Amino acid sequence: MNRISKILFTLTALLLSLPAWAQQRFPKPEFETGYLQPITLQAAPRALFLEYLDVFMLIATLAIATWFVVKKRSRRGVMWTSVFALLYFGFFREGCICAIGSIQNITLALFDPAYVLPFTALAFFVIPLVVTLFYGRTFCAGVCPLGAIQDLVAFRPIEIPKWLQKVLGMIPYLYLALAVLYAATKSEFLICRYDPFVGLFRFDAEFQMLLLGGLFLLVGIFVARPYCRFFCPYGVLLGWMSAFSTKHMKITPSNCIQCKLCANSCPFGAIDEPVEEQGSRRSNVQRLMTYLIFIPLWIGIGGLAGSMLHVPLAKFNKTVYLAEQLVAHPELKQDTEHIDARAFMQSGKSMDQLVTEAKEIRSQFYWGGWILGGFMGLVVGLTLLKLASHRTRNDYEPDKTNCLSCGRCMDYCPVKK
Amino acid sequence: MNLTLKDKMSLARGLAWFAALFSLIVSVMLIANYLQLKSVDPLESPALQSLVERLHDNPNDEVLKENIRSLDLLIRKAYFTSQWQIRTGAYLLIFGLLLFVLAVRYLKSLRPGLEEMESIEKDAFLDKQLARKWLVYSGMGLFILALGAGFLSNNVLDSYEPAVVAETQSPSDVEVIEVLPVAEKPAEVAVENTSPEDLNTKEQAASEDIQKTEPAAEKVDEPKTEPVKAPAKANAAIPSQEQWRANYPFFRGPQADGIAFKANTPEQFDIASGNGVLWQVKIPKHGYNSPIVWNDKLFVSGADNEAREVYCYQASTGELLWQAKADQIPGSPAKLPKVTEDTGLAAPTMATNGAAVFALFGTGDLLALDFSGKRLWAKNLGVPDNHYGHSSSLIIYKDKLIIQYDTNRGAKVMALATADGSSQWETERDARISWASPVLAEVNGKMQVVLTGEPLVAGYDPETGEELWKMDVMMGEVGPSVGYADGVVYAANEYATLAAIKLGETAELIWEDSEYLPEVASPLAVDGFLIIATSYGVVACYDAKDGTKYWEQEYGDGIYASPVYADGKVYVMDMGGNLHVIKLGKEFQLVAESSLGEKSVCSPVFANGKMYLRGFDQLYCIGK
Repeated sequence: MNRISKILFTLTALLLSLPAWAQQRFPKPEFETGYLQPITLQAAPRALFLEYLDVFMLIATLAIATWFVVKKRSRRGVMWTSVFALLYFGFFREGCICAIGSIQNITLALFDPAYVLPFTALAFFVIPLVVTLFYGRTFCAGVCPLGAIQDLVAFRPIEIPKWLQKVLGMIPYLYLALAVLYAATKSEFLICRYDPFVGLFRFDAEFQMLLLGGLFLLVGIFVARPYCRFFCPYGVLLGWMSAFSTKHMKITPSNCIQCKLCANSCPFGAIDEPVEEQGSRRSNVQRLMTYLIFIPLWIGIGGLAGSMLHVPLAKFNKTVYLAEQLVAHPELKQDTEHIDARAFMQSGKSMDQLVTEAKEIRSQFYWGGWILGGFMGLVVGLTLLKLASHRTRNDYEPDKTNCLSCGRCMDYCPVKK
Repeated sequence: MNLTLKDKMSLARGLAWFAALFSLIVSVMLIANYLQLKSVDPLESPALQSLVERLHDNPNDEVLKENIRSLDLLIRKAYFTSQWQIRTGAYLLIFGLLLFVLAVRYLKSLRPGLEEMESIEKDAFLDKQLARKWLVYSGMGLFILALGAGFLSNNVLDSYEPAVVAETQSPSDVEVIEVLPVAEKPAEVAVENTSPEDLNTKEQAASEDIQKTEPAAEKVDEPKTEPVKAPAKANAAIPSQEQWRANYPFFRGPQADGIAFKANTPEQFDIASGNGVLWQVKIPKHGYNSPIVWNDKLFVSGADNEAREVYCYQASTGELLWQAKADQIPGSPAKLPKVTEDTGLAAPTMATNGAAVFALFGTGDLLALDFSGKRLWAKNLGVPDNHYGHSSSLIIYKDKLIIQYDTNRGAKVMALATADGSSQWETERDARISWASPVLAEVNGKMQVVLTGEPLVAGYDPETGEELWKMDVMMGEVGPSVGYADGVVYAANEYATLAAIKLGETAELIWEDSEYLPEVASPLAVDGFLIIATSYGVVACYDAKDGTKYWEQEYGDGIYASPVYADGKVYVMDMGGNLHVIKLGKEFQLVAESSLGEKSVCSPVFANGKMYLRGFDQLYCIGK
């Protein structure tokens, strides 16, 4: 059955992607006289009480998931809560609003005084972080629709070597830094644009997005929750909070009997096994100090690299991109097919103004690049520092930062009381 | 109902199989639908194409049109039904897949015993060591990649140079020879206070002065029919209305409104056989300005990065009589302003008053020459900050040369004395950059200069520069100049509007339309009709009074050249160099069509019973 299900799933996912090519645009009919073009209408905003309902559902689902994880210790309860969350926040609410994307709303509100931060965006950003600070990442386990859809397809997870986990684990930090940079420069909501699953939730995915979502799900059969572990920028923040959580779930409710059953249950590699310090104490401390001293160097190199990257990074800003296009190809100004060039020409702005504006934005990217690079250098330096430290551990314990509180290990643990 | 574990597992397995098969069937149907849609492209329907081709042969066949509409509707319905099927299929497919996943997940949860992952050998110390190593490699790799990408990235914006480079730039690296006006005192004073004999003497003296200080215009051939005379004062005599109308002194005719005031104009020619072509010559330098004609002299200008020049041809023979360079002008930029290829540095059409010709270039250099090519005066108006290049043409009212100078650094209209280039008046305009040209309009017995730009369409007193009226109706990059007839100004621009403004005590917007809008070609209003020519090749005719459309005609090439009215016909030159002669009337009636065999954006010009056309390279004289 497993093999058949794997083949069937792969086949159907691939078949699903093909019809997406059929999406093509039919040109507007050339009407004869007398036809009045309809007035462009804008969709009405979501009713206020429905926004509050979303916040209520978030709190309720989060409370239930946390209860299942921390109190009931029920893997099945967590799973079905996540199925509900997938249906509500995923398919019903079409993946918006979501906590992951709210990072950008918060960033934009900090950098753009004209932007009014929606209450729901603030609530979706803050509430999971606060709960995680006390109970660990129960949000990831039972509320996040992106996590739920991946968790459902994790049929045959395999364990990934630690070094690969650490290397791939850098990506969420980079993604977070880029998302903040682009939101702060009012360029782009990167996380929303490249959300691999929102297209599935809305049934309107473009082919590339469908392919990306399909690939994540295909990979997710063997590498559990690839997006959550190796891409999710909100997971970085949740990880930081979770590291300090005092009421985080425990694998065993009382004393660990060292049966090792839980050791191979975690598909996320988030269980720390018992370990004793190896090597001489002196050399271990020296190594630790060396990595500590190197942190400013990592920050410096990273900052320089980030600042050097500001020109290509700024190309994703539409003003900079348009300015570069028009400087390199002035003939585009007369290209009526080029909608951005047309809009610019109609705006009455001069090229000088456009270029000045683009240069200002690029200057923001220059300083943003320094911060982004410095941040990545700090992350590399601190991760190395952590990898250089050794702490004696006697029991199997969840790695609070990376544990997604899915409850699989609790299910495996023979100690139930 | 009590289900055993085995029953539950069977149910889950059955559901999983059902969902998988269902998803597979839906996928196959979706693919079939997609392939069908792909193989039978509704837009490429042979039946529809054949009907459309038949319509080209019989454009007035109403039955055929109705058949095309019916078939088109059918095809669209089929297309959108397919779209609906794909969308519904996608819903069903996702439902099937979700059901499959949940069933499998439920089945797994029912299984007794633990499913362990395939484990890998672990050693906490060595794993950390390996992780450190890979992290250092990947961290360094990431930063090196970023540095490399930074080094290799092309910084396009830094190569941008503002269009204006010389307004504040010292022309110190240019050898400047000051060109003095012909008389220190304003020319009109001299005209009023001196006898013709005195005037001639002074003119000769002035001529000698000029010859001392500036190089003489480059002579190509010593004109045989007219000996070169000493330069006359540019406004020695103001031509009468009859003289203006007998010639073709400005862009779009004697009033710059597209009306030629000529009869018996040629209609057809054939370049290949030479039929109807009296002469054709290659113009030394390229330019988008249209010719102007005064008696037997025809003037055009041309420019490239090397030089800006004025050419004088004998209108009857096509002989190049002389050419003069616009050089050594104080304030002229050392470095040429950036202009686009389709505008160039010689876009403004020249103007003449029968005594002198005036040429303006994209550098802001303004040159006044007499009819023998001698420089009368020259000045730089300030390099226009214009991202395409300055293109507004010149007109003359009495003794004033009127210039619309709307740039990115401010907009104004000014009048210079034709005699010496001295400023007569200058009026700031609350407008943005534009490419349109001034038009002379007689309103209630008084002449006005009517300008259009963003956002203003406005009238000015040509004597004082006073703004007489204005209306905010225009937007975007305004290229077309206004049309004018019977007290109504017609202003239009692509993506903006076509506005009819009645001038009386106040300016009043009487109608607007936006179906066909010109990008470059100016509206032509004449005899109760309004002609619009668009850059996508449509010529449309409206009732000038209320905007009712009479007819429209589409051509394969777009139209930049402004249409001109002469002898009951409208002459439309498209960018492919095809001249369409259309009888002015409520019904479309083609009189003749001819092709230059080269591209053209210049308006046809009429004088001496002939038609003069400028292609990209050649100048043509059409007539019998």
